[in-house]
Amino acid sequence: MKGVEGDRRVRGVSGALVWSVGRTVPWRALGAGAVVGLLLVWLPRLGDGPPDPWLALNLLRGAALAFALGLAFLLDDPARHLTVPVTTRRWVRTGLRVAWVAPVAVLWWTAVLALIPEQARPPVGAVTLEAGATAALALAAAATAVRLADEPEPGPSVAASVLTTAILAGLLLPHRWSLFVSPDDPRWEAAHERWAVVLAAAVLVWGVCGPEPLRRGHLLRRHPRGAVPGSP
Amino acid sequence: MTPTVSASGLSLRYGGTRALDDVSLRLTRGVTGLLGPNGAGKTTLLRVLATAVPPDRGAFTVLGHDPATSRGRQDVRRSLGYLPQTPGFHPDFTAFEFVDYVAILKELTDRGARHREVRRVLEEVDLGDVRGRRIKRLSGGMRQRVALAAALVGDPGFLVLDEPTVGLDPEQRMRFRELIAQAGEGRTVLLSTHQTEDVAMLCNRVVVLAGGQVRFDGTPAELTARAAGQVWSSTERDPGALAGWRTGTGSFRNLGDPPTGADLLEPTLEDGYLLTLDGAGAEVAAA
Repeated sequence: MKGVEGDRRVRGVSGALVWSVGRTVPWRALGAGAVVGLLLVWLPRLGDGPPDPWLALNLLRGAALAFALGLAFLLDDPARHLTVPVTTRRWVRTGLRVAWVAPVAVLWWTAVLALIPEQARPPVGAVTLEAGATAALALAAAATAVRLADEPEPGPSVAASVLTTAILAGLLLPHRWSLFVSPDDPRWEAAHERWAVVLAAAVLVWGVCGPEPLRRGHLLRRHPRGAVPGSP
Repeated sequence: MTPTVSASGLSLRYGGTRALDDVSLRLTRGVTGLLGPNGAGKTTLLRVLATAVPPDRGAFTVLGHDPATSRGRQDVRRSLGYLPQTPGFHPDFTAFEFVDYVAILKELTDRGARHREVRRVLEEVDLGDVRGRRIKRLSGGMRQRVALAAALVGDPGFLVLDEPTVGLDPEQRMRFRELIAQAGEGRTVLLSTHQTEDVAMLCNRVVVLAGGQVRFDGTPAELTARAAGQVWSSTERDPGALAGWRTGTGSFRNLGDPPTGADLLEPTLEDGYLLTLDGAGAEVAAA
């Protein structure tokens, strides 16, 4: 009975929170990423003729990365220290932020795909997997930063890490592990199996780091008297 | 009197640093001052008691609730108001919207009752007239009061305040003292501060923390009494003094073991605090 009451309380709080949490979403950073992404895929339209399919694919990847850099700010919370000891759990707030952004992201990605002429458009499912994995990677990095550090707004450093990781992955990944291949490359299928692994790993890390931030070094420590690890 | 907070053997390490070392405390109704030098472990102790970080060892209860379990931690948080050292805000929120947001996070879900409570705490911290103003347009002192209002919303029985008067001008500090004294009338307040005057004026009890350990736990009068017979005046700085400084009158105020026939002065709380730190091996001379 008490468990049910607890669930009701969480649902009630979530309902009341929706609007307030919507206002705490860093819309400027997300908007900047979205606009840069749209501009990237729109620029080739200034030239004559349809863009080269390889260029179109890489522009889509660039757009996905730009949006992911905006997502790196999603878990920034200037009021984090003040709202540490509240009863509404962090995953509720995080979940609401994601719920606000998810439909926007879907609409944005649809628009981005629509801006690429059909004859130059890469397989939509595969490139959407790449975009989803990139976004999940940014969210996992943000969740990790929140969990391991005391910084209320780790967005800039998370975005820098995501950008660096993307550049290094493009430059340094061995040929057989390459992620950035073209649709006519025989490694296309294998590369997207790797993208699926990246997505799964990112979601796993995000899931582990999402609920409650912990003090650095506490992840692997056993707690006396059970599951104290916790803060908001 | 039944303690609001009962802590025993709290210990916590950050890497190689022992932030808290076997701290035991019992806090009852009223304002308790927590004094200590930088790095003494004050903020860490406050964060532990605010359930922001768990201790490595030891246990504590707040109003009988044990935060070692998830349910107990939620119960503690229902009884808790917390003003951190650097409260941040969503700057585009108005004062009312921000405190309302915190109230929602504290599970005050009934809109009408919640708005009444938000108005009440904003009036209590004297921000009723500017409740519709965006936080980014408020002064530092007003923002600090918004943070206090956020801590007070829901009428918590245990209030944790981490250096709330830092950076405030004398008038704002005086106003803040009034607010803290008012808040301490019906609840237990733990006030961390560097300002011994704040403790002297506000607190019915004081705890001195140094090196992560409790060095003193008693009334402000008892802490002051520790310096009785150890403060004296001289025309030159006494080389045998632990600390000495020229006062506005031109004479030196010395602290330590006085020479025979010294002109003894009435000690202050700060004198008692500095001597307590010296006993703990801290650097009194730097004070």
